[in-house]
Amino acid sequence: MDPRILRESLETVLAMDDKFPRRFYEILFERHPQVSSLFVRSSAGAQQKMFAQKLCAIVDHVEDAEWMTRELERMRVAHDEYGVTAEMFPWVGDALLDTLREALGSGFTAEVEQSWRVAYARLTSTLLKER
Amino acid sequence: MRTESTASEISLPWERPRNVFEARALHLVLAWSLDEPDRLGEAIPIRDAVCVGRGGALADDPAPRGQPFRMRPGTTRSCSPIASARISRLHLVVSPTGNGTAEIRSVGRAVMRVNGRACTSAEVRAGDVVEIHNAAVFLVTERPLQLPVVDEELTRFAFGAPDRFGVVGEGEAAWEMRSALAFAASTDRHVLLLGESGAGKELAARTIHGLSSRHAKSLVSRNAATMPESLLDAELFGNVKNYPNPGMPERLGLIGEADGSTLFLDEIGDLPEAHQVHLLRVLDSDGEYQRLGESKVRRSSFRLVAATNRPLEALKHDFLARFTHRVNIHGLGDRRDDIPLLLATLLKRTATRNGAIAAKFFERRGGEIAEPRLAPDLVARLLRHTFTHHVRELDRLLWLAIGSAPADYIGLTPAVEAELNDSEESATVVAPTELDRDAIVKALAENGRSPSKAAKALGLKNRYVLLRLLKKHGLSAASEDGEGEAS
Repeated sequence: MDPRILRESLETVLAMDDKFPRRFYEILFERHPQVSSLFVRSSAGAQQKMFAQKLCAIVDHVEDAEWMTRELERMRVAHDEYGVTAEMFPWVGDALLDTLREALGSGFTAEVEQSWRVAYARLTSTLLKER
Repeated sequence: MRTESTASEISLPWERPRNVFEARALHLVLAWSLDEPDRLGEAIPIRDAVCVGRGGALADDPAPRGQPFRMRPGTTRSCSPIASARISRLHLVVSPTGNGTAEIRSVGRAVMRVNGRACTSAEVRAGDVVEIHNAAVFLVTERPLQLPVVDEELTRFAFGAPDRFGVVGEGEAAWEMRSALAFAASTDRHVLLLGESGAGKELAARTIHGLSSRHAKSLVSRNAATMPESLLDAELFGNVKNYPNPGMPERLGLIGEADGSTLFLDEIGDLPEAHQVHLLRVLDSDGEYQRLGESKVRRSSFRLVAATNRPLEALKHDFLARFTHRVNIHGLGDRRDDIPLLLATLLKRTATRNGAIAAKFFERRGGEIAEPRLAPDLVARLLRHTFTHHVRELDRLLWLAIGSAPADYIGLTPAVEAELNDSEESATVVAPTELDRDAIVKALAENGRSPSKAAKALGLKNRYVLLRLLKKHGLSAASEDGEGEAS
């Protein structure tokens, strides 16, 4: 996993106005409509901003073990409260990778895909650890 | 014993250096942020060269990180680094030039626009507006590095929010005004408020009353321009029953009503000179006056707060002399850095009172109404507009934007655009560099190779301008790598 690749690819897709976070939720909800009921407390725009912000913060701090431990624990508690189940994590991961693939086009190289796969696997394992 | 004194030992208050509040610098004040809308009003000082970008310092930063501050009188609280996902880790490098301007260079991914023009570098001065596409809008201001201390009581409200009297603003002019109003309030002397129509003179009068020892009683407020000349004396001083005409009811008069309180007379400059003279006696310390048709001398312990948008010469000199304090109520031209905060307050008030507008134009977070969906180009243009009716005009333009909004965001519609101009002082960018080939290639790549979208992202007027530039650089919108014939 190369943090530089993660950051550069994320910055590229986030520079595409609001397309990237919007498309992520479109893909996720299209494939798994039942997930949309977890997102009713915030408007779509706010949810998309929060997603982009959180993803960016994680990528920025991917080498900061202390930050990751602290923030992922907060995320884990919040996810539990929202009713996120273990089976949903691969759904989100697949939607994320497919959105990146779609947005980056030929820029979604094997190297980029590998970095995101490894990063998401690490994230998931931490968030599922305490379950 | 003989002691040697040095300049640094001087301790007499009037001999101390006064430069603490005189040291000034350009600042980048956050006026709009897609991801961090709760940080409006935070300012990054440009004393020396600084880098602006997401997160903390990077090893290869060419200069120290610009630290965002929340500046309050007597304190400057440093804030966390910018966290907006759409701002690159190193996006801007800003260096003061030493002659009141700063050179600003964009090295980030999202396009920079200065006063609406896409560029990679520019020389900016106070009043200029710097946008990072779909991420942030900054206003360049010149302000002191520290605001003079005011009574702590005045600062007890959240940063950027209205104070307890409804005054909004965190800039130098807003705090100077709050301080002057508080001082005037503490002295119980008559006050003259000077400012253009719509600048907030009534709010200032309410602040003086609210901060004064008279606040327990209601403020008596009247617009002098609306009083018929033939009834002016009766309105001001009151009259006994059936005077001057049979059937006239008894009136206390505004001065009698304001006994123990504050009388706010707006547009005092419209009061005819003869009536200004009538007020001289009652404005003296004893507050003596007589109702019309009554020989008895009455006394009213009132404080007059008068306001005018006219030159001081419009008032008789001896009338003018009764006002111990004159407080300038700054228009928006003097406090552009407060425009984003005023916008936020006006929008929040609108959303609170109108559920349909809140549902259509505001985001919702955790079930609560959150930030408005406000287009950055509207904010950028409002920051450069020359206001003639100030907050009242801003409010009107906002309603125009809401009323003419084609979708679920408040933006720069043709109806609003037709009302806006660019203030002279903000149109001073010196030679931003022409769009270079890399910026065009990047914009096309980031916008799915759509000339229309890329043109918008680059701040160009329309896609035809981009197509001309593509031709000039030997580029094509269609080809993957940007090379080839122009389409």
